[in-house]
Amino acid sequence: MKRRSFFLAVPGLAGCWPAKKRRLNVLNWSDYVAPETLPDFEHEFGVYVRYGTFESAEEMLARVMSGNSGWDVVFPPNYYIHPMVLMGLLAPLDHSRLTHLDALQKEFQAPPWDKGLRWSVPYMYGATGILFQAGLEPRPQAWADLWRESWRGRMTMLDDPAEVLGACLKKLGYSLNSGDENQLLAAKAEALRQKPLLRAYANETIRDQLVAGELLAAQVWRSTAMRAMQAAPGKLNFAYPQEGFPLYCDTVAILRESKRQELAHAFLNYLLRPQVARRIGETKLESTVNAEARKLLPATLREDPVLYPPAEVLERGEWFEPLPARVQQIRDRIWTEIKSA
Amino acid sequence: MNRLRSYFLAPAVFFLVLLFVTPLGIILGYSLLSRGAYGGVELPVTVENYLRLFDPLYALILIRSVAYAAIATLVCLLLGFPLALFIARSQKHKTLFLALVVIPFWTSFLVRTYAWMFLLRDTGLINFTLQRLGILSEPLPLLYNAFAVVLGLVYGYLPFMVLPIYAALEKLDRAVLEAAADLGARPFEALWRVTLPLSMPGIRAGTVLVFISCLGSYLTPDLLGGGKTIMIGTLIQNQFTSARNWPFGSALSLVLMAIVMLMVLSALRRQEDRL
Repeated sequence: MKRRSFFLAVPGLAGCWPAKKRRLNVLNWSDYVAPETLPDFEHEFGVYVRYGTFESAEEMLARVMSGNSGWDVVFPPNYYIHPMVLMGLLAPLDHSRLTHLDALQKEFQAPPWDKGLRWSVPYMYGATGILFQAGLEPRPQAWADLWRESWRGRMTMLDDPAEVLGACLKKLGYSLNSGDENQLLAAKAEALRQKPLLRAYANETIRDQLVAGELLAAQVWRSTAMRAMQAAPGKLNFAYPQEGFPLYCDTVAILRESKRQELAHAFLNYLLRPQVARRIGETKLESTVNAEARKLLPATLREDPVLYPPAEVLERGEWFEPLPARVQQIRDRIWTEIKSA
Repeated sequence: MNRLRSYFLAPAVFFLVLLFVTPLGIILGYSLLSRGAYGGVELPVTVENYLRLFDPLYALILIRSVAYAAIATLVCLLLGFPLALFIARSQKHKTLFLALVVIPFWTSFLVRTYAWMFLLRDTGLINFTLQRLGILSEPLPLLYNAFAVVLGLVYGYLPFMVLPIYAALEKLDRAVLEAAADLGARPFEALWRVTLPLSMPGIRAGTVLVFISCLGSYLTPDLLGGGKTIMIGTLIQNQFTSARNWPFGSALSLVLMAIVMLMVLSALRRQEDRL
């Protein structure tokens, strides 16, 4: 192509681009919708969805903090709702446009982090627990089991301060959101005692080592556990620790900066549709907060004791909460000391 | 003439200011502010972030990182020099050997680190093979220790050592070596007293490059070291993620940068002294 004709072609191409279609900008965790979720929405509403992803909640916040980030819909974890509201980042939700809200499970219609669902709609929820080799004796049931001398060098904890300190605090009978300095110091002592027994602090990377049987037990996010158990059926088990365990919920919210509030609401309402939520719950191996969607799931998933544990198990769970700056600073120092020891 | 030159320089200056001076200025500014509760920075202006660096905890992390980086650099040098010499002296296949050194860069460092995890695991390729051959009964603990960290660093940054030394050796005049031989130097003596001193610029450049890269690395210590030790790179990363303390992270980055700068300057100065 001659240079001149090339330059002529560029504006022509730009004209073909779906610029005429309305665009919705969605920022989500990577791989967190069903394959057809977005194409179906685009088709039905005649819009184009720009889908961006983030790898950590901090990254998400850093990207939208400016207030002119260009995103319309974001997926913050539950403990980010309060800070984001304080920072003026979120738009209040118009419930008259969210006609499917009543499909949500009762508990998630008034969750502790956003009682009236003024700012966010729950999406999927997860938990942290222990993944272990099915034949392991004694069977791990509590965080305290991850301090067992006989399993030295064949256990791991997550490489995440909130999770490691959370497990230590729970082991001691405290809240995982504790900001009490004495409790945190006691938790540090527990972590230091445990460190020589651990093979590593690692997140998803240890999945294969659990599948291969190199590790006996590990603190894992439930989503990791589900994938590992799927890779090696019958080989691994998941336990919700007796002392209590962390729960977290990913939510969908609309940014205040968005100039497409109506379309954004339509997207939230679309995600709430039982059929749409069902497909997401089916493909993502996390627990849906949508009661109607759960009813539509195949029985194997619907009755899965790990994805949908009985109420008496869930009662032991505690939601992560936002921590004040002072507490965050103490915890970071403790974490650095643990890692440095 | 001068005006013409400044026109040609303008784009370079523009990009230098835009891509180098501006971000550095922002980091400096951040490092002098207070932390925002959920990331970001707030007033008032403070030097507290720099005072925290005198805390023995952080000093220890810095020393440890320097030690790891120094060891990895030394190993790189011990492996890289003979390799560079071999490539520079090889008659045929020079391009092929150079390509082999560079090819790993075509894949992302993260992917290559995962590959090492696969090799080093208890049921990984190395342990599996050794056990199958009956050489080992129990798997060797290769992953998640200091050995794995240094191995990963050496693997990752070896080309940074090989290429500058190769460039220096390539320029070396054969006649000098012949002269050394004529004057009675044995091959090893010629290597020690002629080749090595003449390749010093390459060695120095390689050492600085590898050391800097190792000092700032955080992926390798986390993934291959199993997160059981903390290095300065990880500490900085944590400040921007879980700790949400951007000002302290900025101060740490600047101090790290200053240390690296001092080292580079002193290396360059020594080089100038020689010339």
